[in-house]
Amino acid sequence: MPDISGPALAALDSLSAADTAWVMVSTALVLLMTLPGIGLFYGGMVRRFNVINTMASVMGIAALVSVLWFAIAYSLAFTPGGSFGGFIGGLSRAGFAGLDHLGQSGQVAVSHIAPHLPESVFAMFQLSFAVITCALVVGALVERMKFGALLAFAGLWLLLVYAPIAHWVWEPGGWLAQLGALDFAGGAVVHINAGAAALVCAYALGPRQGYGREPFLPFNLGLTMAGTGLLWVGWFGFNGGSALAADGRAGLAIAVTHIAAAAGALAWMAAEWWARKRATLLGLCSGVVAGLVAITPAAGFVGPRSALLIGVVAGFACYWGATGLKRLLRADDSLDVFGVHGVGGLVGALLTGVLADPAISGLEGSLLTQLIACVAVLAYSLVMTTVVLFIVSRFAGLRVRADDERQGLDASLHNERLGG
Amino acid sequence: MSNTSELFAIAAHLHVLLRRRTGRVTDTEWLATNVEYARAIVRFTREKAAADGHVDLLPWADKLEAAIVNMGAAPRKTMLDVAAEALRAAAPPASAPPPSEEHKYVGGLR
Repeated sequence: MPDISGPALAALDSLSAADTAWVMVSTALVLLMTLPGIGLFYGGMVRRFNVINTMASVMGIAALVSVLWFAIAYSLAFTPGGSFGGFIGGLSRAGFAGLDHLGQSGQVAVSHIAPHLPESVFAMFQLSFAVITCALVVGALVERMKFGALLAFAGLWLLLVYAPIAHWVWEPGGWLAQLGALDFAGGAVVHINAGAAALVCAYALGPRQGYGREPFLPFNLGLTMAGTGLLWVGWFGFNGGSALAADGRAGLAIAVTHIAAAAGALAWMAAEWWARKRATLLGLCSGVVAGLVAITPAAGFVGPRSALLIGVVAGFACYWGATGLKRLLRADDSLDVFGVHGVGGLVGALLTGVLADPAISGLEGSLLTQLIACVAVLAYSLVMTTVVLFIVSRFAGLRVRADDERQGLDASLHNERLGG
Repeated sequence: MSNTSELFAIAAHLHVLLRRRTGRVTDTEWLATNVEYARAIVRFTREKAAADGHVDLLPWADKLEAAIVNMGAAPRKTMLDVAAEALRAAAPPASAPPPSEEHKYVGGLR
């Protein structure tokens, strides 16, 4: 296996076929989490006349982020950045330049982060993460944002917020990676980041008409359950694939992922049963996601017992995040992105510092380092998301007209409606 | 015969029998009006019947016990019964009433 400090060409026979196959499968699994996973998960929770807009938002973001990832974002996130290397990558891979497969000379481009995989596979795996992170933010701004403004926001947010943070944490020269912060599959990069951005979006857009006074009936929680199932299964690729190898650590990552998801569901259900005297389907689905979110940073660093603890803590914490904390924050974070992803990400990132087992990865956790990483990602995401929203609002305006909102965004923005 | 007359008749009969068989003198009027005293005499009667073989006392102990219920007294409960009732009273109903549609989904989904 070549020892390199940046993307380079390597001999084809230096690749691992098994690892390559597993990461390709994982890429498909993670993309399924967004398309249709997040689309169904969110689409089931909004009102009947905004389902198409919600699903179109997820689909549009997936397409836009994919093109931008190819054009520039991959390079900014996963190449060494020269003198600014601690904060942002370079442009050497812009337009996927150099992602070659030279069959005749027996060479293939590889990333220094995973030199046993074709770089095309690594870049696509990371693309699926960028897609889902941007799509997660949609949950905070549904039912009231202009579609064009949403796409502009997502594109800028990818470049100015997601790519730098991914570089900090996952590129070996990134300042948080250098500090020793542990984030196996994106507790900070994906979930704290998306949660913080969601909170800013909710404040910037303001509440939906009638929020807090009228019941906003979810369209179909059956869709949300189907989306949850896709998320749960897809998360095996999300966390298992982040081992970047088809090995024992990937297997352990899948095991702890499943245990944490189940524990999260039971803990949320218990909290809801105690507080509201009943268990709900949405609560079970939310608990599954809470457990999955919290185990994400820890998946390659902890064993099954720690995973159970992480899932239980996340289930209770995220229940509070989506109810008590939500009331305290007074933001119309419509589908509780901060309450579930922000809080769950923080819980998981901090517990990783406490529960990481050096016998598994050779890496020791530090609560202080994890805290620094959490605060840095949270603060950067809060500030830069505000900047991005300000820029977009100057050019496009963020919110649909009041009449359009009342009519529903399916009809007013897309001229489409659900059948039946 | 009214309940009160019947009760006094039983009390009087038991008074005579107890005095003859055991030498115990009871207060007939108090026996017909006080539940705790009546229960104590029922218990005493059965103990003496068992200990000394005065089986003819037993039907009258049974009659007095049945008559105690007619005095309006609740059946005697054990401590376990009392504790279980207290717990049941404190616990929330097994199935809480459904939340009002007016409040469900107002200001949040969860």
